[in-house]
Amino acid sequence: MSETKKYIQSLFTQNQIPVKVNRSKLFEEFTNAAQNISAVNTIKENQDMLKKNWNIQNKVADIMDKQLIIPNGSVNKPYEVTLDFIKAGFNGLKYTAFEGLDKYGLCYNSETQTISGTPTESGDFKIAFQFRIEEEQNDSALNNKTISLVINADPKSLWKEIASDQDKDDAWKAANYWKPDRANDFAGLGTKHLVVASNRGRSHANVGSYRDDDYAFSFLEPVGWSIVCVADGAGSSSFSRKGSRLACDGVIEYFRDNLSAEMLDQFDIDLKQYHEGPNEEASKRISFFVYDNLSKAALYAHKKIEDFAVKTERPVKDFHSTLIFSLYKKYDFGYAILTFGVGDCPIAVINKDLTEVKLMNWLDVGEFGGGTRFITMPEIFTSDKFSTRFGFKLIDDFAYLFMMTDGIYDPKFVVEANLDKMEKWKGFIADLKGENEDNAKVNFSADNNAIANELSAWMDFWSPGNHDDRTLAVIF
Amino acid sequence: MRRLPVYLLLDTSGGMFGEPIQALNNALSSLINALRSDPMALDTVWISIITFDRAAKEVIPLTELASFQLPEIACLQTGPRHTGQALELLINKVTKEVRKGSGTQKGDWKPLLFLFTKGAPADKLDFTKAVPLVKALQFGTIVSCAAGYIKDEELLKLLSDNVVHLDNADSHTIKQFFKWVSETIEHGNKSQGTGETVTLPPPPAEITVVT
Repeated sequence: MSETKKYIQSLFTQNQIPVKVNRSKLFEEFTNAAQNISAVNTIKENQDMLKKNWNIQNKVADIMDKQLIIPNGSVNKPYEVTLDFIKAGFNGLKYTAFEGLDKYGLCYNSETQTISGTPTESGDFKIAFQFRIEEEQNDSALNNKTISLVINADPKSLWKEIASDQDKDDAWKAANYWKPDRANDFAGLGTKHLVVASNRGRSHANVGSYRDDDYAFSFLEPVGWSIVCVADGAGSSSFSRKGSRLACDGVIEYFRDNLSAEMLDQFDIDLKQYHEGPNEEASKRISFFVYDNLSKAALYAHKKIEDFAVKTERPVKDFHSTLIFSLYKKYDFGYAILTFGVGDCPIAVINKDLTEVKLMNWLDVGEFGGGTRFITMPEIFTSDKFSTRFGFKLIDDFAYLFMMTDGIYDPKFVVEANLDKMEKWKGFIADLKGENEDNAKVNFSADNNAIANELSAWMDFWSPGNHDDRTLAVIF
Repeated sequence: MRRLPVYLLLDTSGGMFGEPIQALNNALSSLINALRSDPMALDTVWISIITFDRAAKEVIPLTELASFQLPEIACLQTGPRHTGQALELLINKVTKEVRKGSGTQKGDWKPLLFLFTKGAPADKLDFTKAVPLVKALQFGTIVSCAAGYIKDEELLKLLSDNVVHLDNADSHTIKQFFKWVSETIEHGNKSQGTGETVTLPPPPAEITVVT
């Protein structure tokens, strides 16, 4: 039986059109007529076309319903993403393209299914994904699917540099505890040299607020001791910039008024004995001397801030600041170094051969970032650990004595464990001497008049997420 | 680098159906865009979204802002609000995800928690049981936001001192709230004394602080 006859028979049955036995010859002729064969063929072709078209539209709709997630890019950061269409549930693609990627500095390679380039513009963009599936004709209209592409701005371009009222008059500045955005100094200090710089962090520059860090130094001529202080005002306290200033000044003031030659007579003898060999008595007296004098200086700084808070009728916590300070003096037998620290600012001494580092203090770092302790907290003085905040070292000579705030420590050392590693310090010293992407260099030479500005410039280094004030004091 | 983990707990129960869920989606999108234009946030903020209705669900695990892609938050037409279950899921996630500082690992900033809800928890018992555990996680701040009329605001006060109230759950008010959330997040990465919490910026007029 011919295909045409079968088709017509089934059509008639469906439509309940009976073909009587006496009409079977006529029906045979009907199914063999060229016109009817052609009609059946046309119907069949149209049916096939409908099935095929439905199949195509169904598959395209499947793709339209699914999400194609393209990872976010960032301006100026090389971008390369290979799309996994199968994983996204996009099956049977034979042609893929993206329209408009070039506007953002990207291009698409359909062979490797890769989007690459370096984004030039930030924003939440809608781009057109164009495709054909296997079943479609090569010249059929392309299917268009809108896809989201997020390009983050380059964080560097988002930072603002807002001036911090340097044009106001002196009275206004004093009343508002203003301080310059950048400060630095270079000085002979005792038998060594000190270079120190303090820069306002980008997080402050971005909103036009002031630097919270501070430093101070002094050479006490009558007794021959040098003092260097570094303090970091708490970011969350509104007047911590004044707190850090008062803390530094307080320490200098205390030693200037209290450290006398008479007090030091016995200490000098003890140091000599300590140098000559193990001496328990001398050791004990040294420890006591360090504890006694440095704790009084720390307490003096604490009181000074407290008094100021009372005077200005503000809570002491508005002036929260960390504080580290070091004293050093050269003797015939070497350098004596005494330190105190509260907060998260390290003090480290590097020996002359650059082979050993001695970390003078432990850091107050909590379980969470930014959680630390301040000179303004009365409980530090009564804590069991108070006596461990002091450091003492007698050393033949040293190459560097470093004191820094967390603005330097966080990006350069990251975690406390690294502060004990000489390798890390070697890297840090090499970095200071120019081994960095900016080629910023500090030439540690006593007759380098540009050294303080060199250090300030070096401290402008870029480090993602580290935008705090930065203060670094180097004694060499 | 220190991360600032931000947890958003969002109500997707029946009460949110209609304009509120639309408004929430729009406000979230504005929030993400605002944070993306803040350089500090772009470097430090990580966001997690947990939704709760009959069940709690982690919609987006803790993801850095730069890679974050905001999904459409859907809600049920009807159904209860199991806020307690959301807190249980939160405790589980925070314990796993938030890094604590040690000699060899940089600690995250204290995480921030924002709870946005249209009404009181239906699972009061679970909720009250979870509250002290959430508090023990030492969030930098916990802000609970009640949108519209809430019968049991007192329950939210158990969770945090910072309960704010929105008179309306319309799109303007919800947007203002999330704008304030973004300001609070931008405050979240500053050094502070151990044990101290993040100071909240002054809220806009649309927000009433419940005292």
